[in-house]
Amino acid sequence: MTTRLDPTVAMHLSDAAVSVELETPEMTLNIGPQHPSTHGVLRLVAKVDGERVDSVEPVIGYMHRGYEKLAEVRTYAQITALINRIDWVSGFCNEVPFVIAVERLMGIEAPERAQYIRLILAEMTRISSHLLFMSSYPLELGAPTPLMYALREREHVMDLIEGVTGGRFHPNFNRVGGVKPAAGGGSSTKKVVQDLPSGFFDGTRRAMDRVDLVCDELDTLVTGNELFRARTVGVGIIPPDKALAYGVSGPNLRASGVGFDLRKHEHILPYDDIEFEIPVGRNGDCFDRFVVRLQEIRQATRIVRQAVDRIPAGPLQAKVPRILKVPQGQCYVRAENPKGEMGYFVVSEGGRIPYRVKIRSASFSNLSILPWILAGQLIPDLVAIMGSLDFVLGDVDR
Amino acid sequence: MTESPSEAPAAAAAVAERFAGIVGSDDWSADFATPKVRVPRDGWIAAHAAAKEHAPFFSWLSAVDWSSEVAVGDPPEGEVESRFEVLSCLGDLDGNFVLLSTDLPKDDAVLPTLVDTFGGANWHEREAAEMFGIVFDGHPQLTHLYLTDEFEGYPLRKTFPLLTREVKPWPGTVDVEGMPGATGPSTENVEAAAMEGGEE
Repeated sequence: MTTRLDPTVAMHLSDAAVSVELETPEMTLNIGPQHPSTHGVLRLVAKVDGERVDSVEPVIGYMHRGYEKLAEVRTYAQITALINRIDWVSGFCNEVPFVIAVERLMGIEAPERAQYIRLILAEMTRISSHLLFMSSYPLELGAPTPLMYALREREHVMDLIEGVTGGRFHPNFNRVGGVKPAAGGGSSTKKVVQDLPSGFFDGTRRAMDRVDLVCDELDTLVTGNELFRARTVGVGIIPPDKALAYGVSGPNLRASGVGFDLRKHEHILPYDDIEFEIPVGRNGDCFDRFVVRLQEIRQATRIVRQAVDRIPAGPLQAKVPRILKVPQGQCYVRAENPKGEMGYFVVSEGGRIPYRVKIRSASFSNLSILPWILAGQLIPDLVAIMGSLDFVLGDVDR
Repeated sequence: MTESPSEAPAAAAAVAERFAGIVGSDDWSADFATPKVRVPRDGWIAAHAAAKEHAPFFSWLSAVDWSSEVAVGDPPEGEVESRFEVLSCLGDLDGNFVLLSTDLPKDDAVLPTLVDTFGGANWHEREAAEMFGIVFDGHPQLTHLYLTDEFEGYPLRKTFPLLTREVKPWPGTVDVEGMPGATGPSTENVEAAAMEGGEE
């Protein structure tokens, strides 16, 4: 026979049970280093109180390859092969500021056609990097479909990059004083040099149209999606002053409302000849970081189309000595990578190898704000915020 | 189009001079379009606090180990004063950047931390600390960032050998440094050496 409880007593009993359950002790939760949302090997040691994160300590260095030390025993030409691998999603963009720093120290300038090729490939790399984010970020929030759309079009862009450079991820295409002759283009010592593969311009225009279409598709699929908005709007807000003090750059900074883009300020590639806008967010939340990147893809296709129309004829290489000897000097050159400010501080003491190369990578600073931004957030938001910063661990650890 | 060579150095010099005035130093340079202001060691924090008003973007902080004795690579031409040069890079929103630099003696490589001025200095200082052995006084957590806790030595010091080369010689025929134990560059690229000096 069952005893029936007085309803009020039963209510109080259940209240007591709930409050006992809620008294959770602080727990240390280890996330990673092997975890799908960490984009590589990142470990987070989180102190959590139930669902709430008290503090997070990122543990990095699993990908540390010591490029700054290695650069001290490599010739300038060999270093471009190394730095491709810093941010492997945008290998081409990594090379540009380094090569320009060396050019500046040597007092040479790449011919205009080479600069335009650099610009076109850099913007294509931006599209491919951002499209990877468009596929991985909704996936982390539980939407696998956009991945198929974004990666399908990304493949066309990668094919074009591969057609010119011979490499999908590690082009190693920049040379001090210009760019390498295209894959299969023959020897650079003979005068017959094929610089871009046949059909490159038409193929590029077609690919840019398709990328624009997929942007519209992603807009309807993701941006307008009720669930996606619920997970991202107002989550992980970075105020502009914090972003600046932490060195957060690129789309993450622009999402916070700071319309700062090095393409407009550093005159190292002919962006001045080209019309484009800088998409800027308003709230600095995860949603803005997504939308800013989506808009940047559209601007990048606009830039590529103009550059393809304007590219001048001419040589690919300035006259450069066979053995690169860089005069004494110090030079810092930075550029707007897909992930933010990428810069190289090159110290030369004369000779074939640099005395010191400091590599300023975007993801390192972008990730360093993570402990600040994650404090007090919920665990489900942790993945949403981490993913929205769009970092690559090779770019963090170098 | 890129700035003409005559225009860029003048702009960089103007930026360097402006920031030198802001941080109260008269020691600046702007070679290769890189504005750099040298500040005294005890004015490191004050210089950054003053510069932050005009350049709120903290880009990076690192160091250069100036040493005439090197275990890897080539030594600098001529004698250099043995010291650490700590550099930080700040940027403004008009597209200018400036490097602030200060010198530290190697036997007393201590500098106050910038964490209270720029939150982003935290990781950069941890990196400089483990790579060069510089102590950032007052840093909340000056532990290893990349390296394992047990790691000994400071890898980016010029006296730290590149251990992979000690264990296994460079496999190719082109190299820029002599192999350990060998006298002179043992794997000099003969073809390249023959063409040295000659242009294509």
